Amino acid sequence: MNRTVRLLLLAAATVAVATPLRAHHSFGAEYDVNQPVTVSGVVTKIEWTNPHSFVFVDVADGNGSVTNWKFEGYPPNALYRTGWKRDVSMKPGDKITVTGWRARLGGNLAHSREITLPDGNKLFFGPPAGTGDGGNTPAVKVP
Amino acid sequence: MRARLLAATLTLVTSVAVLVAQSPQRATGASRGAVPRAADGKPDLTGVWQGASNRRGSWEEANSGLGVGGTGKDPAAPANPASQQVITAPAPYQPWAAAKVLESFNKRGIDDPAAFCLPPGLPRLHLVGLFPIEIVQTPRKVVLLYEYMNVFRTIQIGGSHSPDLVPAYLGDSVGRWEGDTLVVDVTGFNDKTWLTGTGTFHSEDLHLTERFTRVDKDQINYDATMEDPKVLTGPWTIHTTMMLREGTRVQEYACAENNQDPDHYERLLKEGIGFKRP
Repeated sequence: MNRTVRLLLLAAATVAVATPLRAHHSFGAEYDVNQPVTVSGVVTKIEWTNPHSFVFVDVADGNGSVTNWKFEGYPPNALYRTGWKRDVSMKPGDKITVTGWRARLGGNLAHSREITLPDGNKLFFGPPAGTGDGGNTPAVKVP
Repeated sequence: MRARLLAATLTLVTSVAVLVAQSPQRATGASRGAVPRAADGKPDLTGVWQGASNRRGSWEEANSGLGVGGTGKDPAAPANPASQQVITAPAPYQPWAAAKVLESFNKRGIDDPAAFCLPPGLPRLHLVGLFPIEIVQTPRKVVLLYEYMNVFRTIQIGGSHSPDLVPAYLGDSVGRWEGDTLVVDVTGFNDKTWLTGTGTFHSEDLHLTERFTRVDKDQINYDATMEDPKVLTGPWTIHTTMMLREGTRVQEYACAENNQDPDHYERLLKEGIGFKRP
């Protein structure tokens, strides 16, 4: 093997590309970054479950009509490590504001990002948009 | 012809130099504690670690940015250790296999085996920063306990693979010490996992060689070389680091408890919803 070929092989083997590798499975497939949503309302239920948690929020439209929104988020372990205390940080009856992105399937389903709690504190309930969907660059070259 | 080859070589080498220069330093931070040693003199890998990170400190200190798993307390902190940290070449898939990887990418990973709560494979488990990994080392066995999906594996030190392996999600691991590096030979895989990112499938012929090198108290350099003659054109090596997270504990993760995503995916496919990227 001559020097040039060896150099080329070495170069090919060390080309560095930052590949987004995120857990858990694809939020980006289910939720649409182009449909951001912010709602304020009253917590009706919190499911601290795996693989993802859910928080349900009653949102009034001012005309006497109330819609129950469902927001998906991190699993309980990740919530614990980002500062959440189960049954302490947020409880049914609390008035909160949630930001996130709506589901591609429509309806009142969304992927949560930040929750503003009654005392004004803000905590992340979910990851950034697009998580788990492969990012902008595939692992292989596009022909 | 020669001039063209030389020009091409120079271009490639220059690009590589730029990319390598842009890639994150493996060692960061000022204080470097000594590598703890086991009674037999080997580096002791025992501890709770975070994969795909290069930041020192406690879990909270190292995850203060705006990325996945970050608290956002320090918006200036690296946004997503996982996305910045893993250094890999474009995966050397055979053309037909590359097309399959792309197909999965274009569907935004809707076919991720992990979406069904199945065990994520290797080396992928070391590229997930959201969940910690605990290592317990003894002279004859090194045990890895992954919070993600609550899977584990035991690395037998010395000896050889059993001749009657049944294809498995995490394969069969046999390790040996080469100086201060634990080298692990993994074979006996099934074909139901992804190697790294979206769509990176493999066959049952996957052969993985991992190298764990604890370079100081806080950091293990993790290098993984994947070989799969049925799917890849040659060896594929990735490098990342695992960082010590003192005070963090590995917890339960019962994925099947309330997994609604496969149902959502099925409905998305049934309704023909596109996954076009912005």
